[in-house]
Amino acid sequence: MIQTGWRCVAVLLIVVARPVASSAADDPDGIALFEAKIRPVLVRECYSCHSAQAKSVKGGLRLDSRAAVLAGGESGPILVPGKPEESPLLEALRHEGPEMPPKGKLPDPVIADFAQWIKQGAPDPRNGPATIAARPTIDIQAGRQFWVYQPPHPHQPPTVRDASWPATEIDRFVLARLEAKGLHPAPEADRATLARRLSYDLTGLPLPPDEVDAFVADPSPDAHERLVDRLLDSPAFGERWGRHWLDVARFAESLTLRGLIFPDAWRYRDYVVDAFNSEMRFDQFLQEQIAGDLLSADSPRDRARQIVATTFLMLGNTNLEEQDKHQLDMDLVDEQLDTIGKAILGQTIGCARCHDHKFDPIPTRDYYAMAGILASTRALEHANVSKWLEVPLPVTAAEEAAIRRQEAAVAAVAARLKAEKSRLARLGQKTIGPLAVNRAPGIVVDDAKAQRVGQWTASTFNKTYIGDCYLHDGNSEKGDKALTFHPELSAPGEYDVWLAYSPGTNRSTSVPVTISAADGETTVRVNMKRSPTIEGRYIALGRFRFDHEGQPFVRVANQGTTGYVVADAVCFIPAGAARPIRPAPVVASASLRSLENELKRVKAAGPKRPKAMTVREAAKPSDLQVHIRGSAHTLGDRVPRGFLQVATLGPAPAIPSDRSGRLELAEWLGSTRNPLTARVFVNRAWHWLFGAGLVRTPDNLGTTGEPPSHPELLDDLASRFAGEDEWSVKRLVRRIVLSRTYRLASTAGLDPKAESVDPENRLLSRQNRRRLDAECLRETILSAAGTLRRERGGPGFPADLASDFDYNDERTCQSVYLTVFRNALPELFEVFDFADPSLVVGRRDVSTVAPQALFLMNHPFVLDQAREATRRLMTGPDRDNPSRATRAYRWTLGRLPSPVERDLIVRFVEGSAGPSLESAWAQVFQALFASVDFRYVD
Amino acid sequence: MPRPITRREILQSAGCGFGYLALAGLTAGDSPANPLAPRPPVLPARAKRVIFLFMQGGVSQVDSFDYKPLLARQGGKMMSFVDARRQANTGMGGSEQRVMPSPWRFEQHGECGRWASGLFPEISRHVDDLCFLHGVHTEGVAHGPATLFLHCGASNQVRPSMGSWVLYGLGSENANLPGFVTIGPSPGNGGARNYGSAFLPAIYQGTALGSATRPASRATIRNLSNPVLSREEQARGLDLLRGLNAEQARTRPGDQELEAVVASHELAWRMQSQAPGVLDLGRESRETLALYGIDDPLTENFGRQCLLARRFCEEGVRFIQVTYGDGTANPAWDQHSNLPKHGDHARAVDRPIAGLLVDLKRRGLLEDTLIWWGTEFGRTPYAEKNGTGRDHNPGGFTVWLAGAGVKPGFALGQTDEFGHLAVQDKVHMHDLHATILHLLGLDPERLTFRYSGRDFRLTDVSGQVVREILA
Repeated sequence: MIQTGWRCVAVLLIVVARPVASSAADDPDGIALFEAKIRPVLVRECYSCHSAQAKSVKGGLRLDSRAAVLAGGESGPILVPGKPEESPLLEALRHEGPEMPPKGKLPDPVIADFAQWIKQGAPDPRNGPATIAARPTIDIQAGRQFWVYQPPHPHQPPTVRDASWPATEIDRFVLARLEAKGLHPAPEADRATLARRLSYDLTGLPLPPDEVDAFVADPSPDAHERLVDRLLDSPAFGERWGRHWLDVARFAESLTLRGLIFPDAWRYRDYVVDAFNSEMRFDQFLQEQIAGDLLSADSPRDRARQIVATTFLMLGNTNLEEQDKHQLDMDLVDEQLDTIGKAILGQTIGCARCHDHKFDPIPTRDYYAMAGILASTRALEHANVSKWLEVPLPVTAAEEAAIRRQEAAVAAVAARLKAEKSRLARLGQKTIGPLAVNRAPGIVVDDAKAQRVGQWTASTFNKTYIGDCYLHDGNSEKGDKALTFHPELSAPGEYDVWLAYSPGTNRSTSVPVTISAADGETTVRVNMKRSPTIEGRYIALGRFRFDHEGQPFVRVANQGTTGYVVADAVCFIPAGAARPIRPAPVVASASLRSLENELKRVKAAGPKRPKAMTVREAAKPSDLQVHIRGSAHTLGDRVPRGFLQVATLGPAPAIPSDRSGRLELAEWLGSTRNPLTARVFVNRAWHWLFGAGLVRTPDNLGTTGEPPSHPELLDDLASRFAGEDEWSVKRLVRRIVLSRTYRLASTAGLDPKAESVDPENRLLSRQNRRRLDAECLRETILSAAGTLRRERGGPGFPADLASDFDYNDERTCQSVYLTVFRNALPELFEVFDFADPSLVVGRRDVSTVAPQALFLMNHPFVLDQAREATRRLMTGPDRDNPSRATRAYRWTLGRLPSPVERDLIVRFVEGSAGPSLESAWAQVFQALFASVDFRYVD
Repeated sequence: MPRPITRREILQSAGCGFGYLALAGLTAGDSPANPLAPRPPVLPARAKRVIFLFMQGGVSQVDSFDYKPLLARQGGKMMSFVDARRQANTGMGGSEQRVMPSPWRFEQHGECGRWASGLFPEISRHVDDLCFLHGVHTEGVAHGPATLFLHCGASNQVRPSMGSWVLYGLGSENANLPGFVTIGPSPGNGGARNYGSAFLPAIYQGTALGSATRPASRATIRNLSNPVLSREEQARGLDLLRGLNAEQARTRPGDQELEAVVASHELAWRMQSQAPGVLDLGRESRETLALYGIDDPLTENFGRQCLLARRFCEEGVRFIQVTYGDGTANPAWDQHSNLPKHGDHARAVDRPIAGLLVDLKRRGLLEDTLIWWGTEFGRTPYAEKNGTGRDHNPGGFTVWLAGAGVKPGFALGQTDEFGHLAVQDKVHMHDLHATILHLLGLDPERLTFRYSGRDFRLTDVSGQVVREILA
């Protein structure tokens, strides 16, 4: 059983029904009413969920005694005697809030009986004491006694009998436990095995055969150490360990919803790879991911990196189409909190969303204290399909200059285009001056009907306007004002959307105008200094498709603008409809077409301003109310923003009332101010190097996780990691792989006693044999074929890709750079237990299923690469079958074949009646890819 | 796809390590060595397997099986309705809407005298075999959330799909085929999440055959055949692999992990030999093909899907989903405008579904197979502003079940007099899920998986078995 020492023993409280003040309560008529009309209904309709006889009492509410009725449930009291209209019970019966009974509303006369009964003071003869199980409360102080909430500290390595065996302190911790059980460690793995293991663990790549040879032949005592250092210095280290973190960060580049693509998520992936390669401090790495946008930066490059880091918060597989936008916000916060909890703290915080955590000392209040921080962080722009935030990234002066040059070049062509359009427009009908709303084309939303955020001023200073006036923002409070135009469209379909505005020299040159249509949101920048191109009154924002999902709108905002922002009206003109007022006949113009082509060319030629997916501080940070049972619409106490109490060492960091608290959250997470972060990561590293962590549930170090096999070792490593190693992941990895424990054989020369005493190898008398994961499997096949292309990040898919459906990334680059689309994972990843990109995965599944075998037998990727490997073999130096067999083994398994293996292959090749020798060798490679030694790392 | 697995692997693959132990507790037998081995259900099972016919996009209840005469009488009038989309968007649902009569005529059918419209004339012939739930309601006003809720019991959190739960609970009866197949799934509105295993071990995920975006005639299991080698060449290759593996495993006799890898190749070889036969509709008689409408271009595609479902059913596949849909954001049945288009979709599925009912019945398969016909939500009894279509309606719609364990010729539940909101004998989607698990002999409250520190279930903390419909 799980120990819940800090939890108060559930006390049976004796609640005695207090005499109800109203004498009406004991009125015999009232009792008669209760017996005739109320009690039978309660028994028939309610008791199955709300009485002692219920299998589980729903909502903590019982209705089988007067005391229980008066006590109410988890959501509070259910009735106010004498006041039916203030009684939630009646609301529920009327199905106006929570609906009771859930299977169908009771007949109106019955509900009227309940109203009457409450009005009479809810008389109820079911007197006497009622027993109600008190809801147990969480004792945080007692909770701190659990090992993981104690601060980790260094331990003196234990003394061991065989003092000559340990190579590092790690080994003394391990050997002491083995000696205590009378077990002997396995011998060290042979050099070739060790080289293969180290290379996969540190770089995810097979070691080239000549390097294996050199290592095997190197007699010097520091050969191992030198190989480790060389592998740690390889850029592949960051690719391998970055990918580990991406598993934990549920990294993906699209949403399953509509296959929407995150165009810039690859920047986050590259950031992670760079962070591991550049030895960024791990505490800093975490802080940047939580609050990079709020940290100070020394250069535009730092600033850009920090913003990209916060993409972490937005990678969840969120259902942006949820129509209840408050619920969506809370679901997003929940996903973020769940991810932060598991990934960084190894805690299942998500469990406390609906009720106090059943096992860990995490009260619901703590959940909403942290949720308040994330809810005070703006992550989405709401629309039918809400949209994540994208911001332009700061750039260096040189890049800025290049981008400016590009923008100027684009603007120059655009200006010529515009001038040409106005010239042509002037040739057409020219109507400057006020215009009645009903004279404007299509479905018109005048500024008078626009929804306003912030102060907007009506003006008729410029005489070109529609309706009574136009609106301007007073050139003030930038970022806080917006006008939203909601059209009433009569039919779905395509519309040309025009914006009417009154130009002027004091106007903003880059007003963000957002169109929300069926295919998402589009933001267009409008230069309001320029005269509108259509009749000097309108500018075409584009053609958009509108359906009946949600509410289409056009929003004019003053975010990031300098100069006056104005807006007059928005027109939605059905595509193809005859326009009441025709724009200048510009479409047919050849000069226009050539200018448009030129614009396209120039745009494609130069650098684009880089963008990233991120979050922002909300305008008004605020504390959240507890959401009772997780419902966004049943609210309880307001909880001040804060952190997990049980995991806060020292005084809790104060959160300024005008800030979200995300910066403080980041500092608390990425530091030793909580006892968890360093332990969790050290344990993850151990898992990635041994195939099992010291705690084998790496995402859960709470009470429902497993206990550590070597608590002192874990503590010691954690305190060194956060102490003398200055949160350097490379130093941590180095420390572990230089131990003798890491170097032990996994299969040969084992202590037979260990198999019975410690069948799961918790005591580490040997290394664990591990499955070759999807990436290593793929990289090794590509290496054998000589087709692996070393790439260094960047976007991996076409910029204009509309959705991820059926996307097939066929590049032969390293796996970490293959596009991770949630609806179109590379098949090899899907089949070979790649991490589910919607979940925090600290430990991948290890499965052995027939689809893997079918993939290796029949998939074109395997067949092609086997053929490539054959081509390479046949054009190589080997001329006879035995030496070719040897080479094939070195390429695939990193070792020499045994005589039996070599004979098997030679006989197979020589006995092939198939079409060609090449075909036989391709089958040999296929067999090697499928063989057990290939699939495992010893 | 059975595999021997070690205790360590079981612990590794089962989340926190408690999953299988919990499972062992709820199945009568021993802790299963093979997570896909068939397991006896904990309760008396009425159904051995499920065929789920998913009508993607939202079939209108008031134009099909939920007859509301008032709709015709009040047609065209503006009346007050609580609109679910408005409710979700603004928190206030009340709105004036124009009542829209159904363009289809309703008549009584069968011994039971069930009312049904002319939309599904073939299915309507079989109402005496069907069990209607008219008071179903669900969560999510948009396709994305509601489709996920239908399949996984959650609209936003990543949760295992129902087929995965069933496979996890009962294992598979056929070692040579996947235990959970989905024929022609849609890539939209949740895509693979709708048949994914989420935190359940990956072996429980659904195997997709084809896609809603491609013709069913091309639907197959991936990598089932070798595009280059002859069968004899492949057999020789497999022999070589056997030899190499035997040599490599020689020093480690009895190593179950290695044996599992070897066994997976043997199984793949058997699958490669047997599955194409199951997928080959050419072995069916002309009469059967006609029964499913495969002789008619209008019904050919869905007919193939339904016939494949029957063939999988015969092979003991545990959970078979058949999707009528497409890959768009506004899928097939989503008639916001042009309601008569419902008729085109009905024509495409009506005969195949009726054929499936007949075929299962005459083969005795309806005895232990549960058919579930459903949609992610219904449609409003009032019109869109364009006057020609209906909006989404999660508050009340119709689902029917047929076969193992449910009352035939029966109907439960009611919507209000306009067919808008469920009011009597309401069945929440969680309740429907719970009922189907119950019919399969699983206890919806005890079919749990320990993940992330707690026991998860398909129906979250709700889900009441609808006992009124149990035969």
